[in-house]
Amino acid sequence: MNKTVLAAIIVTIAMLGFTYVAVGSAGGMGGEGDWVNKLAVLGAVVLVIITSFVVTKYVRQMQNDTATGKLAEENWDGIGEYKNELPFGWAVIFLGSIVWAMWYFLAGYPVNAYSQIGEYNEEVKAHDVKFEAEHKNMDPETLKEMGGSVFIVQCAPCHGLQADGINGKAANLTHRLDEKSVKHVINNGGNNFKTDYPGGMPPMLLQDPAQIDAVAKYVASGFKADDAAGKAAFLAGTCNTCHGENGEGMPSVAPKINGFDTAMVTTVLKDGKKGAIGAMPAFNNLTEAQVQALGAYVTDLSK
Amino acid sequence: MFHWLEKRPFFFAVAVFVVIAFAGLIEILPNFAQASQPVVGTKPYSTLELAGRHVYIKNSCNACHSQLIRPFKSETDRYGHYSLSGEYAYDRPFLWGSKRTGPDLMRVGNYRTTDWHENHMKDPAAVVPGSIMPAYGWMFKNTADIDTAYAEQLTVQKVFAVPYNKEIPLADGSKATVALADSLEGAHASALEEAKVIAADMKDQDVKDAVAAGTIPEIVALIAYLNSLK
Repeated sequence: MNKTVLAAIIVTIAMLGFTYVAVGSAGGMGGEGDWVNKLAVLGAVVLVIITSFVVTKYVRQMQNDTATGKLAEENWDGIGEYKNELPFGWAVIFLGSIVWAMWYFLAGYPVNAYSQIGEYNEEVKAHDVKFEAEHKNMDPETLKEMGGSVFIVQCAPCHGLQADGINGKAANLTHRLDEKSVKHVINNGGNNFKTDYPGGMPPMLLQDPAQIDAVAKYVASGFKADDAAGKAAFLAGTCNTCHGENGEGMPSVAPKINGFDTAMVTTVLKDGKKGAIGAMPAFNNLTEAQVQALGAYVTDLSK
Repeated sequence: MFHWLEKRPFFFAVAVFVVIAFAGLIEILPNFAQASQPVVGTKPYSTLELAGRHVYIKNSCNACHSQLIRPFKSETDRYGHYSLSGEYAYDRPFLWGSKRTGPDLMRVGNYRTTDWHENHMKDPAAVVPGSIMPAYGWMFKNTADIDTAYAEQLTVQKVFAVPYNKEIPLADGSKATVALADSLEGAHASALEEAKVIAADMKDQDVKDAVAAGTIPEIVALIAYLNSLK
């Protein structure tokens, strides 16, 4: 028995001993443990023995083997090289990788490659399809509920969670118009809604401050029938020719001023507006369903 | 050649590096160069906007606000189109940020207005309930540094060929020109013109008076910058 084999046996015993110390009791060598643990311990033992055999074999081969074969002509400081045949498996892998490289270059990478934007586009598309299917025919209650959640994200940062405009920092959506806004429009005209009402409204249709005050009060308080002075001023300013007798508005000519409806909300979202309070940007990133939902929600707020 | 190389470890290492780097060079560099070209519609900053950008950096807004919208639906729903590298072509340095204590500001100019910013910078919690952002009252009093902004404009025009005074194509097919004054006085005058437009939409009487008197408070420059983020 030579030194190598002796060393292998000692190492094997040492490793088996280590295995026993580490997992012996869990592996059920004392009779306990389930069969999964037993199998694992058996695997560990087999691994140790196979490793010892293989290592021993190659160490002995390195010690004893003499090389055979035809030497290549070239040598480097006396170190030569055999002209051996390429092993068959290597040849197969080599040729196979050439074929794979062609496929990868022509089809694999360009067609199947991962792209972050591609994944994003798929995510959006999948969402849109699902959304469309889920919200095909919404009943008014669902629409309003959806409008509420869109409102919190898109509108509440300016109009406030209660839609009251946060102490005049934005329009109060629980009420269509206040006196300040009406006066501002009469004095400055209005040309906010270029898409739906391309004509705009000329300024100074009324010039008498008393009449302007009366109209502002009449419009802001909701066209009360007993406000004769307001109504007279409203007619005197020819407001009714475009906005209608009771402020119901006229398609393509003038917006509704006696309350909110979905069409009014859509108009504002389309063009944004700039008035007595400040400016509001257009919100063209909302989907059609979201706009409808917001319309329903805001209409409901002012009821 | 190989016989020469294999006896010289240093040159051999250099040759190996060149061979390995070659694929990287032809794959990465052209794409990178193309992606960093300005996106159509990206404009250089005007003097006032750049002064506002300096205010933004000075107050470390980028410590809490990112300027980078990632391509996830949840982000694009809230902030708008995801960011493209070419959109940062004139950002020196870029202000991507690495933490969102507050929301992303990459396209804040699309959905916030001058008067909103004014209210918000004065008292954030009054506009956004529960906001932990501090108020930035001093911006209403400090004067914006137009000189530095103008110096930066001149520098980037010379060194990086930023196209001031040149026609820039916009997304809708039209052209725009960002003017760069040819003197410091001219830069102050054009910044003041811009500031007047902003101040007209503001409510703070002190700010309005300051702009009317010819000085530009930091808040006006900052709002000009925020409005330009689209």
